[in-house]
Amino acid sequence: MPDQELDPITLQVISGALDTIAEEMGHILFRMSFSSIIRESQDLGAGLFDTEFNTLCESESTPLHIGSIPGYLEGIAETLQGGVWNDGDAVIHNHPYHGASHSPDIAIVIPIFYKGEHVGFAANTAHHLDIGAATPGLIIDIPDVYAEGMLFAGTKLYEKGQRNDALWEYIGRNSRAANELQADLEAQIASARLGVRRFGELLDRYGKDTVLTATRQLMDYTERVLRQRIAAIPDGEYHAEGFLDDDGKNRGVRLPIKVCVRVKGDGIEIDLTGSADQVETGFNVPFEGSTKVACFCAIRSLLLDAETSEIKVPSNQGSFRPINVFAPKGSIYNPEFPAAAEARFAQINRVIDLIYKALAPVLPDDIIAGSSASLSFVAYSGVRPGGDYWVFLEVNEGSYGGRPRSDGPDSIDNLMANTRNNPLEDLAVHLPMICDRYELRDDVMPGAGRYRGGIGCVKEQRMLTDGFITHENERHEDVPWGIFGGHEGATGRVELFNIGNPSERREMPAKFSGMRLQAGDVHVFYGPCGGGYGDPLDRPPAEVLEDVLDDFCTLEHARQAYGVIIDPASETVNEPETEALRRDMRTSPGAAEAALASAVASGAQPLEPTPGPAPAPVETPKPLPAASLSPAPPRAEPDLSQIVRRLHETFGSAWSFEILSHERNGGGVTVVGEVKANGSRARETGRTNGGNGLSVGQQFEAAADDSLRRCAAALLEATERSQDLRTA
Amino acid sequence: MARIGVDVGGTNTDLVLEANHGVFFHKVVSTPQDQSEGVLKGLEELCEIGGISPSDVDLIVHGTTVATNITIEHDGADVGMITTRNYRDILHIGRHKRPHNFSLHFEVPWQNRVLVKRRNRVPVTERILPPDGRVEVPLHESEVMEAIARFKKRGIASVIIGFMFSFLNDAHEKRAKAIVEREMHDAFVCTSSEVVNVIREFERFSTAAMNAFIGPKTTVYLTRLQRRLAENGFRANLRVIQSNGGISTVETCSKRAVSMLMSGPAGGVIGGRSEGQLVGSDNLITVDIGGTSADISTIPDGRIKIMNPRDSYVSGHPILIPMIDLVTIGAGGGSIAYIDSAGGFHVGPRSAGADPGPACYGRGGTEPTVTDAQVVLGRLDADKLLGGDLPIDPGLARRAIETKIAGPLGLSLTDAALGIIKVINSNMALAIRSNSVARGVDPREFSLVPFGGAGPLHGVALAQAVSAKDIIVPVAPGITAAMGLLETDMQYEHARSLVTSLTRIDGEAARRFDALVNDLVAECRSDLENDGVPSERQKFLRFAECRYHGQGFELRADIPDGDVTTDNVKNIIASFHQQHRLDYGYAFDDGEVELITVRVIGLENVTPLKVARLEEANGVGIDAALLYDRETTFDDGRTLETPRYDRGELRAGHNVPGPAVIIQHNSTVVVPPDYQADVTEYGNLHIRGPN
Repeated sequence: MPDQELDPITLQVISGALDTIAEEMGHILFRMSFSSIIRESQDLGAGLFDTEFNTLCESESTPLHIGSIPGYLEGIAETLQGGVWNDGDAVIHNHPYHGASHSPDIAIVIPIFYKGEHVGFAANTAHHLDIGAATPGLIIDIPDVYAEGMLFAGTKLYEKGQRNDALWEYIGRNSRAANELQADLEAQIASARLGVRRFGELLDRYGKDTVLTATRQLMDYTERVLRQRIAAIPDGEYHAEGFLDDDGKNRGVRLPIKVCVRVKGDGIEIDLTGSADQVETGFNVPFEGSTKVACFCAIRSLLLDAETSEIKVPSNQGSFRPINVFAPKGSIYNPEFPAAAEARFAQINRVIDLIYKALAPVLPDDIIAGSSASLSFVAYSGVRPGGDYWVFLEVNEGSYGGRPRSDGPDSIDNLMANTRNNPLEDLAVHLPMICDRYELRDDVMPGAGRYRGGIGCVKEQRMLTDGFITHENERHEDVPWGIFGGHEGATGRVELFNIGNPSERREMPAKFSGMRLQAGDVHVFYGPCGGGYGDPLDRPPAEVLEDVLDDFCTLEHARQAYGVIIDPASETVNEPETEALRRDMRTSPGAAEAALASAVASGAQPLEPTPGPAPAPVETPKPLPAASLSPAPPRAEPDLSQIVRRLHETFGSAWSFEILSHERNGGGVTVVGEVKANGSRARETGRTNGGNGLSVGQQFEAAADDSLRRCAAALLEATERSQDLRTA
Repeated sequence: MARIGVDVGGTNTDLVLEANHGVFFHKVVSTPQDQSEGVLKGLEELCEIGGISPSDVDLIVHGTTVATNITIEHDGADVGMITTRNYRDILHIGRHKRPHNFSLHFEVPWQNRVLVKRRNRVPVTERILPPDGRVEVPLHESEVMEAIARFKKRGIASVIIGFMFSFLNDAHEKRAKAIVEREMHDAFVCTSSEVVNVIREFERFSTAAMNAFIGPKTTVYLTRLQRRLAENGFRANLRVIQSNGGISTVETCSKRAVSMLMSGPAGGVIGGRSEGQLVGSDNLITVDIGGTSADISTIPDGRIKIMNPRDSYVSGHPILIPMIDLVTIGAGGGSIAYIDSAGGFHVGPRSAGADPGPACYGRGGTEPTVTDAQVVLGRLDADKLLGGDLPIDPGLARRAIETKIAGPLGLSLTDAALGIIKVINSNMALAIRSNSVARGVDPREFSLVPFGGAGPLHGVALAQAVSAKDIIVPVAPGITAAMGLLETDMQYEHARSLVTSLTRIDGEAARRFDALVNDLVAECRSDLENDGVPSERQKFLRFAECRYHGQGFELRADIPDGDVTTDNVKNIIASFHQQHRLDYGYAFDDGEVELITVRVIGLENVTPLKVARLEEANGVGIDAALLYDRETTFDDGRTLETPRYDRGELRAGHNVPGPAVIIQHNSTVVVPPDYQADVTEYGNLHIRGPN
């Protein structure tokens, strides 16, 4: 490879070409495929890789596949049949202990030879309907990895251009959905071959050295962009925890999740130490292909947000390099052979959710409140009169937590998941099932907040013939969290009943495996609702009214959570009563403190354990994202998050802020607060002069901020003076 | 016989008049507040230019962005929806897929920019079930009355009825519509199955909702335009171009406003096709490059392709209306070149637009654009833009590129400008590939037709990048879209879903299939007859939209002439396999083929625009057209003393060898060294390379 750097113009041209190849590979795969999980849900990934397994480009399909293929390539290197790549080979690979994301995600990998030289790989992965596991479609309660079905490791489906027909027939006889499996594998092969051809054309056009140099520089470029964003986060260790309901077998045994995000300079480490040990069912997570990939996804969504970033960074290996992921061997996030590890989605989606919770104090304007952060994955199946199986995999959506500038989206695929649901009419015409209800939940309210959480859906699927069901699902117990004064959301639910006896409903656990269903059985899924962001008393009454009119919010909830009184007949807000109620809610003992203090202090809480090991000097603050605990009032004062950070740098977690009193006077409000640290204290009055279009709640919050700012300044100054004295 | 095509764009309204004594062009400034003002002004002025009176005009074909603008501004009607109980949120949940994989702060168009607010989506009790459309629960009419009461209270005057499985049985939708029409006299009412009678509830409801969202306003616009035309002496029939490239009457457009949504770029594609065909080429790639975006379409065998309905979105809402298959990318003369904080170099999609515009316009823009690069490279002459009507300052262009690109990258000014052109061309070439190579089309057999103000500057470079065989520059590149309006047919489409296996079809199913085809043909015929199209000019295209059993996407297969029988269904199956091979490079020859939807298109063949022949050169050399020589830098980096020719002075049969720059009022054509441009009998420039 020439050492000479390419100019940015050539780089941009080749970058566009690589991107197009990946998109074309993904496009042909999902358009040609048969099973709905690939064609509708687009549960697939495709791209080009160099001989060192670096991702050169990858299709925009499903996040969980993006970044997983290098792990497959490593695994294939360990197991490759015959040990040598030949032109015309095509390898099939899905072994979770050799780098696969999980066993149903089968990879097809074709080596790219250019003028006789091995220069890279065209590869793709796709989720297959059924690979002959213990139960149809999905599995949870199984003893080990051998119950997951057919396992391929470095196996050549094609060798020097010749298909291994024995293997092909074997595959055809070991799946409940053999036709779809084989047709979808053919689509994968067509997609990978296209990648081989297109990469060859690219090398022909620009020359091998130029293209390979460009790929290296493009990876460096992506890495550089991500590192710049990471460097803007204050160094430190940030923690958050949650738990999973159970492992699908041992009911009532919760599984802890511990996430530590270590930011140091321009790198990030995600450490999952302290999370549950590996479990005895298939509810474990393959480390290489899934745990790591989830962490990549979390950071990329947070720091390279596709909606708000001006530039589209090339999707390549560079986006993984600044992120180091650790989970102890033998834990649920890094199980040891031969533990089964097929049902892994909910666990990793929670990791993403908790990474955001951990970073809330330092990235309050970027993170979002707690989302459903799980996945409902249902396998419905049955045997047709002729003896053939039908298998249908359905992904049910979740909802998002409230966000710094907008409500959490309702009923939508969440965080790592991004699939399409199946048209109800199409399903009913093709399968012995019918959907009896599909709309937003109305049995619970989402987390209230300045920006509310999203609302989950309710979906009732009825079997028209006898069959089976497996449901991989989570979040019946750990409620999606609110932040900065936002309320928590709502957990999910699952019910079963028979249409002949609708009053007899069974509440089901989130996960269950291989259950037999009878004709007329109805499976009801209720998706979790997201938590709120910011104080609900700060939500403008007009917005609460809109939600009430749209039945996103009941009259009762509007009053209880938002302090808004609405006259349903005239469809208007009763403003005097609302103002009075909101005043009461803020000023009555407890209520007000909870509302105000939590808005201020919850920003600090997750930082508790330890501040950053090497605090950046205060005099040269890093460029922080505009951080404020409330999105509403514009302030000319120093950024509150900088104050909080300075308090941490000086006192660690040994400081507190308390609101002693608050009142309205004239047009403005005053708040008296007190900061205590290391035995010293500072008490200062914060005020606003009212107006500026701020609600009373926003004024109180601004005054509380002002008070905290003044207290902190006084205390920090005193501390610095005493330190100076000591040094002197 | 006199016909006028009038195409309203964001900045200009373009007009073409075809009269017995010739073809005339005109351009006026668009009037976004009420497009009909600009249209009327343009029509009156054009009649004067052509020396005819308004009453002499027989036909006016109109391309309008009125419908599209409503979706962009999101200021359509407040719509009420009556829907099936237990499915209130089909429009809110959609396909539950986020618009981005990696984003936390994304917008969800169907939740943030709703077509029907949830408060106005009223569920009523009724149920129709598959597979045969039987009535499981009758329509509760009293609940329809309650919904109507709610709509009235809220002042809603636009209503849709969207029931589950209405594509199998539309009785409930029709009944509810009748009740609404009885109770709400002036309301705009439509049912999902009459707007688009196909399977897939979200997409069907969304299409109907969009129709009701834009329908009232577009109706007001078209009716007002029709009235103003009449008041000003125009007696012509007014026709409007549709997203599928066909034209339709004002009455039909008012009922199916949703068909006009993507009519904007349609005229250009059709106009580009006609220009290519004038030069005898049937395999065409049209590239319409404006200030901020480029529309690219591939036309194999002269057949304009229709987008897969799965890809048809407008403002983030799925719209199951046939629209011309094209890709739009953010690349145009105003595209901004910049270097990001990590050293990456980008051109577009951000655009300087018309205001401030490129730096060289001197309206305060300081960021370098593609136009600035063309000026720096000597391809756009400062004194010749819009015939000298738009004075530009090359110094500002140089300064912008020098300070923002050349300096930071350590490049010469020329190399920086060449880099900007290279990247924008590469972006467009990749888009052309995705609309051609990626769909089984080999560009080496295609001619590239560049138009729009900036098209002919890039034409040769793009043809080179995608290996197109040659380049055909239209007679009036700035006005090609308006000309296309006079090149298209009266067109009606009717479609209905009928899900049945074709591989295992029996006599009974074949009879149902055949009956459906006949029904749809009859519906198209009746539409054409209502428009006064005589039967000898009626033509019907019949398609079976099929997929392999188990797949999720349909492709169009041809239905052979005559009755559909178990026997000739084999031809449909063969046509489907072939289409699959063409689109995906692969066919499952023993796969089971399933029919999903039958579609019939009824056409009236319209007389094509008669473009006058250009005067023959007859021995007069091209020197008569020579303006002057100036230095121009070409993509290979060479800077050459390059002659400028006035396109208006070129004659049929002239051959202009490169390097050359050919200038006309609103467009500049670059002919690089080793290329040559032949002036054809109709005045097109046919540019070919050394091979």
